[in-house]
Amino acid sequence: MTLPSRSNASTVADRLGEIVGDRHVLSRPSELLVYNSDALPGYRKQPRLAVFPGKRDEAIAVVRLLAEEGLPFVPRGAGTGLSGGALADDIIVIGLHRLKEIISLDIENRRATVEPGVVNLRLNKHIAPHGLLYAPDPSSEAACTIGGNVAENAGGPHCLKYGVTLNHVLAMTVVLPSGEVVELGSKFGEHDGYDLRGAFIGSEGCFGLALDITVKLTQRPQTVRTLLADFMSVDQAARVTSAIIASGIVPAALEFMDGPTIRVVEASIYAAGYPKDAEAVLLIELDGLEAGVSTDLEVVRQVCIEGGARNVRVARDDVERMKLWQGRKKAFGAMGRLASHLIVQDAVIPRTRLSDILATIHAISEKYGVLVCNVFHAGDGNLHPNIAYSADDPDESERVHKAMTEIVNACIDAGGSITGEHGVGLDKLGYMESIFSDTSLNAMCELRGVFDPDRRANPGKVVPIHSCKEWNAAASARGPARAREATPLSAEPARPSAR
Amino acid sequence: MSTEAAATAVKASGASHTPLRISGRANWLSAGRPVKAEKTLSLRDDSGVVSYVPGDLTLTIRAGTNLAEIGRITGEHDQWLPLDPFGSDDGTIGATIATASAGPLATSFGLPRDLLLGLEFVNGRGEIVRAGGKVVKNVAGFDLSRLLTGSWGTLGVITEVTVRLYARPKVDRTFVVSLGRGLKSTTELLRAVAASPVAPFALEILNGAAAFSLGFGDNPTLLVRFGGNAPVVDIQLKAFSQLARTEEVEQSTWAAFREMDSDAGSVIRISTLPTRFLGAASSILADTEPRIAISINPRRGVMRLVTRDGGNRDPERAVDAGISLDFPTDGDGAGTSVIFEKLPAEVWPVVSPSVASDPLSRAIKKAYDPHNILNPGILGD
Repeated sequence: MTLPSRSNASTVADRLGEIVGDRHVLSRPSELLVYNSDALPGYRKQPRLAVFPGKRDEAIAVVRLLAEEGLPFVPRGAGTGLSGGALADDIIVIGLHRLKEIISLDIENRRATVEPGVVNLRLNKHIAPHGLLYAPDPSSEAACTIGGNVAENAGGPHCLKYGVTLNHVLAMTVVLPSGEVVELGSKFGEHDGYDLRGAFIGSEGCFGLALDITVKLTQRPQTVRTLLADFMSVDQAARVTSAIIASGIVPAALEFMDGPTIRVVEASIYAAGYPKDAEAVLLIELDGLEAGVSTDLEVVRQVCIEGGARNVRVARDDVERMKLWQGRKKAFGAMGRLASHLIVQDAVIPRTRLSDILATIHAISEKYGVLVCNVFHAGDGNLHPNIAYSADDPDESERVHKAMTEIVNACIDAGGSITGEHGVGLDKLGYMESIFSDTSLNAMCELRGVFDPDRRANPGKVVPIHSCKEWNAAASARGPARAREATPLSAEPARPSAR
Repeated sequence: MSTEAAATAVKASGASHTPLRISGRANWLSAGRPVKAEKTLSLRDDSGVVSYVPGDLTLTIRAGTNLAEIGRITGEHDQWLPLDPFGSDDGTIGATIATASAGPLATSFGLPRDLLLGLEFVNGRGEIVRAGGKVVKNVAGFDLSRLLTGSWGTLGVITEVTVRLYARPKVDRTFVVSLGRGLKSTTELLRAVAASPVAPFALEILNGAAAFSLGFGDNPTLLVRFGGNAPVVDIQLKAFSQLARTEEVEQSTWAAFREMDSDAGSVIRISTLPTRFLGAASSILADTEPRIAISINPRRGVMRLVTRDGGNRDPERAVDAGISLDFPTDGDGAGTSVIFEKLPAEVWPVVSPSVASDPLSRAIKKAYDPHNILNPGILGD
């Protein structure tokens, strides 16, 4: 695998153009600018080329051409990721948003087969008339694609009750980086043998591209009730969260927003009517059969009041419910009012540790003089501390990154994980060695090696390359000229953690 | 047996090329799966809690702990692991994950892959690998937990498991419905249940032979379990009672149902689209072959055929009975998986060729168990 020279790149672009049509290949730097980041604008990498297949066969042909040429590539959905996972550092982006057909819908068996570029919200609109929904609901559901969901094993607020992407995908057809097309899982039901579908989900574009995905659909609940409980202290809201979970009730969603987040949202066009003087609100949704929901609603209300809630408001109708949700789902967008850049973490902690970890995060933010906004999936213990800042200010940038590193390390020390739904990508690569041993990381490298022996799919992401024993051995045996981690194709950044 | 001891044992076996049979409490050995091993690596004595904070609703436990013990430990905090694989609660959590075994509760709580949060295993080189974590949501790194689930010990020896727990339902009741000989209404009943908002914890339809062994007479019978808070159970029961005549039975019915496997000669699971079972249920249940106990879980899309005569060495009969069922299929039977759970040892190689022979699976096996010492042959050659 060698980096295409500029002249080779134009030859490759021509050949890709023959497959997908010239206007679906971008090669001018100005055209490629829009593909130089995902939804984390702090990371920018300029791709060499971008190609957008419009049909399944075109996608296969593109992958086969790149395999023949030995060229690395990065699959990309809608670019709404929050880990820098879809960045291509001077290599080729394969954008899949044009593959957007809902191939089949089986109402009775509650499943659908879709192309990877189908947007979550569109699928949900399509199946809503049948009383069905596709449960995983990332906050970017209006833009993100099912293919991207599969790559990241995406979650969302309602995953508390309904589970994440891996619990809702039955099967997919995949084109491996070699160009070979394989079926993983079974559209029809259970099968024996290794769970290759499970291995593929969450592989962050390192194992190939999904060409179609068969998902399970869920019956819409009979009743949905949404509560907003507001608190004058973060600690009270955290303790109430733990108490609700410990009560055994499984809310459909249990979301947390702290004072700074509330005030940013309320000042934006997404204002939801949250009390601006509150230090925290919990957005709690219960769903299911009417009779059961009413009973649980009273229990939850009681837990909130006993835990110090100032006010518990139950949305009277769908309009009010949607408004309450809009504030939560658009909170990251509202942060755009504060500064040009946003950094978001995605650590998960045991749910009994919420109160003390939020206190730790507060202490860290004071120490570094940064404003941390907390808006997250409290019921899962999945934190999203985020800081709006200006990347042009080197001093501020440094403080922000130091604060975030300390926050993530505190979550790791609490027995947590570095990412609950956003993926490792580039952003969290440096933390992988804090939670996994060398042998565990090497086992991941070996699995990747099976799907992509040449390491051409999304190189440099997820697992630090130096953790891959066999590849390092093979690379040094070939000599430095061919050691892949030495080429500019590798997007591996310096390790951010000082641990 | 600690993880380190398991790692040492695997390493030694690798060095001497001595294949190992991996065993928990040895319940699955009677499944007759063909393992070509000279030594057994038993995790029977590696049991107990590693960490359990009830407020987190997660449990980390050594792989040799059996399901009965997990039930006891979590029950003290009014919690449970809603995993009830066919067989008995003497099975270990390690074996349950390794074999991806599920039972009636999978209807509402999912398969082992859905309840698993993380695990520790020893690969075929004797290296200790951790996958996933101990929190309920986690996408850090490639998903080795799912890869190991259902791999039958061929990729690694599972030594520790972290699972998600649930609060025990406040009310948990089980009912039977006798479907009578007529059966014309069975499909209608199932369609009505599917269309209603009723969401039972478990729902199984038994043929006459299966019902008889549970003491419900010899008519086809429906078993249904409702759980949750009192209003949720009441409303479902009310709705269900309008569709069929129900009679409440003891919860121990489920244990008896799951244990029908224990003296079986063969167990075959057939999985396909749920609607195909709806269409075929009546004709399947009308088959009065007394030695084959059939149960259908229409929500999961699974049917199990248990040949109850322990001396029966003719599982092809059961296989034929299953495959010849009148499923509307896409073309030549596409979309129906026949999964063998238990067969007489000598029959395995005949009816079940390798189930992990595709190039990706072979390459994974080679990477994780380069000396081919972990349960060789158990998934075929």
